[in-house]
Amino acid sequence: MLTFAFRKVLTLVGTMIGIAALTFVITNVAPGDPARLVAGPNATEDMVTTIRTEYGLDKSLPEQFVVYMGDLVTGDLGQSIVTTRPVLEEVLRYAPATLELVFVAMALGIIVGVPMGMLSAVYKDGPIDHATRIFSISGVALPAFWFGIILQLTFAVDLGWLPVSGRLPLVTRPPETVTGLLLVDSLLAGRLDTFWTSLRHIILPAIVLSFPCLASILRVNRAEMIEVLQSDYIVAARAHGIASFRIVAIYALKNALLPTLAMIGLRFGWMLGSTVLVETVFDWPGIGLYAVSSALSSDFKPVIGVTLVIGFFFIVANTLVDLAYAWIDPRLRSA
Amino acid sequence: MTGPLLDIQNYRLDIATFDGPVHVLKDINLTVNRGDTLGIVGESGSGKTVLVRSVLGIGPKASKVIEGSIAFDGQDITALSEKDWTKIRGIRISMIFQDPMTYLNPLFTIGQQISDVIAAHEKAAGHGVSSKAARRTRTEDLLDQVGLPNPAMLFDQYPHQLSGGMRQRVLIAMALSGKPDLLIADEPTTALDVTVQAQVLDLINSLVEKLNLTVIMISHDIGAIATIAKRCAVMYKGEIVEQGLTADILSAPKHEYTKRLLAAVPDIDTASAKVAAEPAVGASPKPGILLEAIDLRKVYRSQSGTEVTAVDSINLSVATGEIFGVVGESGSGKSTLARMLLRLIEPTSGDIIFDGKNISGLTGEPLRLMRRHMQFVFQNPHSALNGRHTIGDAIGEPLRIQTNMSRRDIEARVEALLDIVQLPKMFKYRYPHELSGGQKQRICIARAIALNPRLLILDEPTSALDISVQAQVLDFLQELRAELDLTYVFISHNLAVIRQICDRTIVMKRGEIVEQGETERLFLSPQHEYTKALIESGRKTSRAANLSAPAGS
Amino acid sequence: MTTPVELSRPLTFRERHESKIRQWRLYAHMFGKSFSSMLGLGLVVLFLLLAALGPWLAPYPEDTVGAFNMANKLMGPSAGHWFGTDEMGSDILSRVIIGARTSLWIGLIITGVGAIIGVPLGIIAGYRGGWVRAVIMRITELFLAVPGLALALAIVAALGPGITNCVVALSLVWWPGYVRLVEAKTLSVKEELFVESARSIGAKTPWILWHHILPNCMSPIIVKMSMDMGMAILSAASLGFIGLGAQPPAPEWGAMISVARTYMPDWWWYSLFPGAAIFLTVLGFNLLGDGLRDILDPRSRDR
Repeated sequence: MLTFAFRKVLTLVGTMIGIAALTFVITNVAPGDPARLVAGPNATEDMVTTIRTEYGLDKSLPEQFVVYMGDLVTGDLGQSIVTTRPVLEEVLRYAPATLELVFVAMALGIIVGVPMGMLSAVYKDGPIDHATRIFSISGVALPAFWFGIILQLTFAVDLGWLPVSGRLPLVTRPPETVTGLLLVDSLLAGRLDTFWTSLRHIILPAIVLSFPCLASILRVNRAEMIEVLQSDYIVAARAHGIASFRIVAIYALKNALLPTLAMIGLRFGWMLGSTVLVETVFDWPGIGLYAVSSALSSDFKPVIGVTLVIGFFFIVANTLVDLAYAWIDPRLRSA
Repeated sequence: MTGPLLDIQNYRLDIATFDGPVHVLKDINLTVNRGDTLGIVGESGSGKTVLVRSVLGIGPKASKVIEGSIAFDGQDITALSEKDWTKIRGIRISMIFQDPMTYLNPLFTIGQQISDVIAAHEKAAGHGVSSKAARRTRTEDLLDQVGLPNPAMLFDQYPHQLSGGMRQRVLIAMALSGKPDLLIADEPTTALDVTVQAQVLDLINSLVEKLNLTVIMISHDIGAIATIAKRCAVMYKGEIVEQGLTADILSAPKHEYTKRLLAAVPDIDTASAKVAAEPAVGASPKPGILLEAIDLRKVYRSQSGTEVTAVDSINLSVATGEIFGVVGESGSGKSTLARMLLRLIEPTSGDIIFDGKNISGLTGEPLRLMRRHMQFVFQNPHSALNGRHTIGDAIGEPLRIQTNMSRRDIEARVEALLDIVQLPKMFKYRYPHELSGGQKQRICIARAIALNPRLLILDEPTSALDISVQAQVLDFLQELRAELDLTYVFISHNLAVIRQICDRTIVMKRGEIVEQGETERLFLSPQHEYTKALIESGRKTSRAANLSAPAGS
Repeated sequence: MTTPVELSRPLTFRERHESKIRQWRLYAHMFGKSFSSMLGLGLVVLFLLLAALGPWLAPYPEDTVGAFNMANKLMGPSAGHWFGTDEMGSDILSRVIIGARTSLWIGLIITGVGAIIGVPLGIIAGYRGGWVRAVIMRITELFLAVPGLALALAIVAALGPGITNCVVALSLVWWPGYVRLVEAKTLSVKEELFVESARSIGAKTPWILWHHILPNCMSPIIVKMSMDMGMAILSAASLGFIGLGAQPPAPEWGAMISVARTYMPDWWWYSLFPGAAIFLTVLGFNLLGDGLRDILDPRSRDR
């Protein structure tokens, strides 16, 4: 088990290096002279040359790559042109908001998705099953940005139940930063009213973000449950007189959970990617919104920085899923 | 103690399919009294599994009872609610399944699975569930009862850590945990090796005696049935065609099908009446050695770096025109050997001489061209044919690959080949899934002989087939050999089949040859311990042994 | 099956293809039985019709090529403009209809390029094994390690906004999914006896790949392509919404919502209808793919 974990961590490091290389390639496929891009349209030839030397753009590509990787290792993700501050600093400032949103959405997806998947597998081809099928496929098909707008119109503008956007109202002083997650920090600071406010703010974006994820967790869990319920060992358990509820909720679920876990890992990454949409719609001050606004103002370093960070979170999540797999499946543990 | 324990009256069952309802069970009448041991014999598709699963209320989903009843201890159980079933299933009727590999949940320990069953029974019986420790003791007792060593350690192990035979014992322990009135055994030995089969049958017999069990055992293997069951029913296409005392049925079968079935069972103790494989009538121009293997080895390296020797230093020579047998249990390396002889698997070291030419170093085009002279017939005809190709495509494929024949010539040759394997020409438009197992195996043979090879390597060609079909295919193979002047290497785990058709035989164990020689000599005076044990186990499940001794002891 | 009597006359077409005919009838039967599959098929057919006949169906085709009529701007749904008008006074219905064609092209190109790159790589990786597989799969996993939308965003940011760059970026992130799918399938098909059987009769590798491996990988590929048509359209619209895909006056659904968002909440119809078009199209392709999976999946074929 320990060597298994060790191998996984090694893979994690390897993949991270790979992603760094990938971002380097993307940076260099851009047409045009990067130095001129940085310098802006009104720069003189001299300024461009200075910038080229300053940024090390006059070196050969392999040399640039070595420098780039060296910078990454020391945590230097470059500077934002718009704010002229280090990208790493800004990303770290925005990341907790995104993680908070993703965690809440993921929890929502699992808590609703897994039981619904089980239900529709048990009552396969029944009305519940048909309803969840339409529901889940709709979930995957819904454009997140449009769904967000519709929810805003309905629940925030028309009904006025929930705030339209943002993380906290401007007038509210945020709680002291410990984890960066407002829901946790406000509880730690003992400020229930702030907790309540931030919860109200997170509901709509979390629903939008979790909907497709919930749908695919539901579908995978349903499909796996159906297959497991037909398997020989479930037939045997039935034949030995074990109660149906126990068969479904304990025996079959544990087996079906393995592929569902894989889907959860996959969807975690997908959610991180989708934050660029959801955060744009809800003005949620996370790394997604940061990446989008940077991309729109041709500020390239932050975009790459966010890509790296999102990749990192995703790989960590997948590594955790792999470890959970081994924890559940004895066959993997002994391998 | 009134009336029979199980009483099935005029039972009919249909299964709905796209092509309309299929009558799976037709007018079944069967009674089982307390203390009975009943065997149900039938081939695949006879409906025997559906029948016993209906007794347990776990029959196929789209099925419908047309008429009749199943009464268990006086209570009709055909329309029982799920709740009422919990009082019967696993407690009063329990079941042992066919394939121990798939009937245990891989993610739970042996101990937990058995104690859960115990807990379920206690709950259903109405008195509270006993403590964890008490259940653990009971579980270990059960494991001990079925002859498993070290139950305390076994309790915390997972199914994948156990061998097939051990898992079957675990399943038996599970079935016994409720002290059932009726035990149903569904092909309990089919998936096991010969030596393990005999042990499991012994175990069931001793349990029947010790616990005074009532047993229904279903199997396609008459030998296994005869070992256990005093009474026996023969099923054919959803009907019971004959029932009575097992000894009577074996010695004097009445129904046509039973006679055919019994005649088809190869007998381990009968010398074959095969046409002596003398270098036939001098017809073959160059008698002598066709295939030779010299010091053949295959070593697999697993990911963790440990080496497993699948085949170790095999030397053999196959004479032109003979049937050369290779016998061994699973894991003996016989399939690996067969594939190496054809260069489908690369040997780690050693030489293969075919017709005086060393083929172990051939690569690319020469190897490809050499393949036309030696062909392979696979164990499982169901997966040896590509489901997306018609039969015509399948038989024509070797011709398209190896020759320049025109489309029309290939069509003609395909029809001729279908003729040789005694199938209608129409079949070339059909797809494999529309054919029966025996028909598919004929197609595979047609494919193998399409290029007029000199050597056929047959890897358990009949073990996926029903007994009556097996007999037909074996006969056909022998005819074919005489007709086309072929040499066979015949691989099997079934000693009776080997004895029936092979001239010379090697016995393999863990990748090595433990004994070799003339087949008759091998069976009459085996030298090696393992050969003796193998023949003894084979004999145990063979019908003849039980005919001479009183059935079921 | 019973042994048919040998016939001397040549067989009719129907007799020769009896097996295939039954198979297709079975497919049609299973597909037709499912409401959601038929709904998906209906939506996809509707979408294809709109894409094919758009210019003739749109009530104000000139509104989609830059004509404007400020007098009509931002009018609600009415008899003259079923879906209302936008800030330039253009008819939203016409723009939504014309947008179907753009979306169809986007979907076809991204899915097609993804499959053309991914399927051969997947088959080669799965069949060859060894270092070839290691190299292909490492690169594939690298692409899969960054969420698709985030990677596409980075690529578009590097290339510059625009619909062409958006399609290029999405195609670049789309192929790894096919490699992984096909590789896994190839690995299992490769173990089938019929592949070994083909080798034993001396078939060369290309023959085996083409005649044995590929046909047996087709079902999941078809299902994935159907679903991906929807997902690719959705992703392109997403980039359009962010402002990095199709640029506003172009009648692309995502870009339309991007502009419409600034006219929220009073001019709600402006974002409602293009969004509904995206939703129904993606839903259609997903339901279709789901229905196809049900009938092509061998596990449900036995019935």
